[in-house]
Amino acid sequence: MKVFLSLLALPALLLPLACFLYIIIQALPALNWELIVGSNTAGNLFGDAANAGHGIWSQVSGSLLMMFLACVLAAPIALSIALFHALWASPRQQRVLIILLQILQGIPPIVYGLCGLVLLVHLLHWGISLAAGGVILAVVILPLLSSNAIHALQRIPIEQTESAKALGLSVGTMITRVWFPAAWSGMLTGLLLAMARALSETAPILFTATVFSGVLWPDSIFSPVTSLQTHIFYLAQEGSNAHAVDMAWASAAVLLALVICFSLSARFLRRYEELS
Amino acid sequence: MLILLWFLWDASSAYWYDFGISQLWASEWYPYESLYGLLPAIIGTAWAMIIAMLIAVPCGLAAAIVSSEILPVSWQGWLRLGMEMLAGIPSVVYGLIGLWVLLPWLQNTLDLLTGHNLLAAGMILSLMILPTMMVMSQDALRLIPIEQREAAMNMGMNWNQRLMRILLPQAWPGIRSGILLGLGRALGETMAVMLVVGSLDRVPDPIYNILEPAQTLTSRIGREMGEAAFGSMHFSALMACGLVLAVTAICLSLLAQRKPREFAS
Repeated sequence: MKVFLSLLALPALLLPLACFLYIIIQALPALNWELIVGSNTAGNLFGDAANAGHGIWSQVSGSLLMMFLACVLAAPIALSIALFHALWASPRQQRVLIILLQILQGIPPIVYGLCGLVLLVHLLHWGISLAAGGVILAVVILPLLSSNAIHALQRIPIEQTESAKALGLSVGTMITRVWFPAAWSGMLTGLLLAMARALSETAPILFTATVFSGVLWPDSIFSPVTSLQTHIFYLAQEGSNAHAVDMAWASAAVLLALVICFSLSARFLRRYEELS
Repeated sequence: MLILLWFLWDASSAYWYDFGISQLWASEWYPYESLYGLLPAIIGTAWAMIIAMLIAVPCGLAAAIVSSEILPVSWQGWLRLGMEMLAGIPSVVYGLIGLWVLLPWLQNTLDLLTGHNLLAAGMILSLMILPTMMVMSQDALRLIPIEQREAAMNMGMNWNQRLMRILLPQAWPGIRSGILLGLGRALGETMAVMLVVGSLDRVPDPIYNILEPAQTLTSRIGREMGEAAFGSMHFSALMACGLVLAVTAICLSLLAQRKPREFAS
């Protein structure tokens, strides 16, 4: 039984690791400093020498911009949902809220993308834009963010809340002086995880926010951007072009590094929280 | 959420009014001849999910058991860290691996015309949901109180009996929700599947033939959304695909919510 189980488990443990190493190895030839700070790859791919460059800086910055926009939009809403859950909701409402959040989390991101396409891009005439992508990503990460915030508030010992109430603190003071100092690290962990999620979502922004090339830095929030995720996708379809293949692996490695940065710092924050 | 559903319904209503619910079983999808049957994509989605689950559930479960019961404790933290990192890898990166590593390999070993098929989609999906599966079942196994294990040891049960009689039944609710979560993820995954599945709108012939190019609901939306004009029948047919996806996902998460009573202790 033990041997059988170990045999079954071996691929599960080794294959993902192998994939990871494979990406790094494949990315090495194209991975250098020039890549990250250089401006434009697309011109290079289509033989447009005047427009040629070796970098993916515009893609990286586009991804990060969209991620920040999504977090700025989603964080206050998630915070207020969590406060509502902790302060005013009856047990029944709390249960319904949690169930609703989990259902929302289960809905495929591409469905959010479809709704955003109809509502934001077509009905509100925002066009293919950074703003549409940011709003859609905000909706995608909202359930994750709010359930993390709720858990962070729930971990505060009940005695602290009760003594704050017994001291006659107003609700506002209680939130800012008692709850916030106790829960900020948990909330920040949730925010970092949500950032990693927003960085790795591709499908919902494919038609609503991004173009393949031609944008170095978006002029306004209603102009299209380039993003790292969709860049990889477009490059992947240029399978016969050796340069495109190299660039795709390198972009994948950069994206991976960014995502892992965020989730690693979330992890360290969690450990810090457990220690304190 | 109601707004979302209403929205999908509203955008796809032209499709439902014109063709009716029977289109779910119609097997032709040719946008240029106004034939919009959803059956090929639904079968494709179902096959991809089944294959992914067939690979990921036994492997993930075994990996969870091995890592929490057999390997030394000091390894567990690192393994868990690694698994959480892997669960965070963007799906488009998995798609890249599938497209340029898995497809040529499948093509050569199985001697096929093209590597684009449902088997490849299922394999990539299983790779993606393995870490989730494993982390969830490991959590479930770790939550079992140490007294239970000690009591089982005192009763003279050997390792196999302890696993089958004590640990697995107790961890089952957690494992079950892990499976449902993985199913939901397999259902909604777009990019990786889109790159490997081949996007051919045809019911597999015969129906268990998983070595042909096929189509899933998500990959169809992803492929054709760029081409469909806003307000056209094609567009609302794609919205209908989205509606089917959303309803299935909601059913899955409702199923995951319902906790079996007898294990509540």
